[in-house]
Amino acid sequence: MYIGIDAGASATKAVIVDKKGKIVSYSIVPSGINFKTSSEKALEKALEKATLGLKDVTYTVSTGYGRALVNSKATSSEIVCVSRGVHKLFPSVRTIIDVGGQDSKAVRIEEDGKVSNFVMNDKCAAGTGRFLEVMSNVLGKPINELSVLHFKSSKPVKISSTCTVFAESEVISHISKGSEIADVIAGLHKAIAERIYNMSSRIGFEKDLAFTGGVAKNQGFVDALSKKIGLPPTLPAEPQIICGYGAALAAIKKYEKNLA
Amino acid sequence: MSLQRKKSRVLQTTKKIGELIMVYFSNASDVKAQGKPVAWITVFTPVELLYALDIYPIAPEHFGAMCSARGFIMEYLEEAERSGYSQNLCSYSRCSLGYVLNGMNGLMPPPDLLVTFRNSCDVYVKWWQSLQMHLKAPLFLGETPYVLSSEDLDNYVLDYVVKQLEQLIELAEEKFGSRFDMDRFVDILKLSDKASELWLETLKLRSSKPCPLGGRDSASDIFPLVVMQGTEEAVKFYEELLGEVKEKVSKKIGVIDNERFRLLFDGIWLWHAFDLIKYFENGGAVFVYEPYSEAWAYRLDTSKPLESLAKKILTMGLNVDIDMRIERFLESIKTYHIDGAVLFSNRSCKTWSAPQLVTADILSEKFDTPYLIFEADMADPRQYSEAQIKNRVDAFLEVLGEH
Repeated sequence: MYIGIDAGASATKAVIVDKKGKIVSYSIVPSGINFKTSSEKALEKALEKATLGLKDVTYTVSTGYGRALVNSKATSSEIVCVSRGVHKLFPSVRTIIDVGGQDSKAVRIEEDGKVSNFVMNDKCAAGTGRFLEVMSNVLGKPINELSVLHFKSSKPVKISSTCTVFAESEVISHISKGSEIADVIAGLHKAIAERIYNMSSRIGFEKDLAFTGGVAKNQGFVDALSKKIGLPPTLPAEPQIICGYGAALAAIKKYEKNLA
Repeated sequence: MSLQRKKSRVLQTTKKIGELIMVYFSNASDVKAQGKPVAWITVFTPVELLYALDIYPIAPEHFGAMCSARGFIMEYLEEAERSGYSQNLCSYSRCSLGYVLNGMNGLMPPPDLLVTFRNSCDVYVKWWQSLQMHLKAPLFLGETPYVLSSEDLDNYVLDYVVKQLEQLIELAEEKFGSRFDMDRFVDILKLSDKASELWLETLKLRSSKPCPLGGRDSASDIFPLVVMQGTEEAVKFYEELLGEVKEKVSKKIGVIDNERFRLLFDGIWLWHAFDLIKYFENGGAVFVYEPYSEAWAYRLDTSKPLESLAKKILTMGLNVDIDMRIERFLESIKTYHIDGAVLFSNRSCKTWSAPQLVTADILSEKFDTPYLIFEADMADPRQYSEAQIKNRVDAFLEVLGEH
């Protein structure tokens, strides 16, 4: 079995594939502050789900922020991994927008799946999952409710600040003025979608378009971003594991290359 | 891939820069103690003329870079910020203002004269005026118009700047009793020209594979050309450097053993993060060309001393039309066999950063050159997100590998 471990800023994902690249099992655990522990835990869970053991592991590739701290044979960057993962599942995709816990990126890929260009957010957390986490705390609504409330909004409020800290005070001010929570949430999704749209415009939105990363599980965000771009996105069944899946595919490739 | 540790090296001559800088600053203090004038200048001021007038030039921008590289810039940045200077201002300017507000107890002796020529940076004028308000030293404000074409330059711009150089001479004679001696001035220009010639010859050798001189070398080795143009010490340094680089080329010794990618770096270096250059080298990538390294190199025509010096400060890369700038860029791609470009969008330097996207697009269209743009600050370490930038570098090198 081949393993991809994506040690991300907020979650660590382990993906197990067979030699044909078919997903056998996966797991998602919080990263915490120790990538070594979280990656071991993620792998253990994923193996357990498929009733496999460490002896079944042929080759492991790690990616994500903590990739250097993970016990693996090789590392690969998120940009290349996410492209590999998406290309295998959806060969017609040319543009990927991946929004994770701490960064967001847009990647253009060619017909053969190779990266032709990419952009990433600057060091600011606005436009990432972290932004929504902060806001869900401010609003006292768990992150998985944001999606539900988004669709109850009739007139989204305008969040003009691109800074997480300033946006937080804007949210508080909207609530104190009596805005509906649903409208504030829809406004937040719109704000983050606009920021990502602006960043990604540099490389363009060639069809087909795919959304990946943990934030793509939030239907409210997906709604706001696809409206802004004006294209329906391709969404993987589990958007959060695509980068890890790409790492697992890299593990097959690297193992075979080493044999050759 | 990026985790593979590859051995990378700096040149022996580069290692001598630290001492050269310390001697340069200690000379400044000696000059000051002897009651001779010291000028604070912006970095594209004609220092050759100041040396000829017995005025010792010190560049607060260079000082800022050094403070940043040696890890003590925060003291000055914070001093400026405590006085209300915004973090959005250029970090070099904040460093110099903070140094003044902090009592000027470091390596730069207080100035007797402030000189700037507004050629590379739009902030110079207001920055130097602010320094004047704090320091009460006389200010010489040179105006070097933007050069749109070589016709403009020869027709009227040049005379205008030559007149200003003459005014600077008059000011020095009047204020400090300096004596301007044309023969001595020409001798100084000859030394300056020699240093440029040697440096340009050295840079050309970077077209060799493997590249003998990397980013960590060029970033340091530029120093004598910035503030010591016209001195024998500078010529001596560049002679030694060229000798070492020639030897490396003949022995085929590169900055790294396994040169996978040859890169262009656009921008001022990140003085506080030299390990970023090493990070690229560990990933098999070496910087072989930077517009920054050429910025101070200029072949002077010593038969037309003032005209030639005026031309030098007028045609530095940021004061010429963007087409001329891009032309130099495109040429380098072929000359230095460049695989990719790294463009550092510098929060402090809008003049440098603004045209980067246009440049990147042209590179990509004409040569299919992949590029990476990242944002940080040249001197303020707080504006540098190490993990995020290194993450992007990894992705960039991986993409280059696939390219």
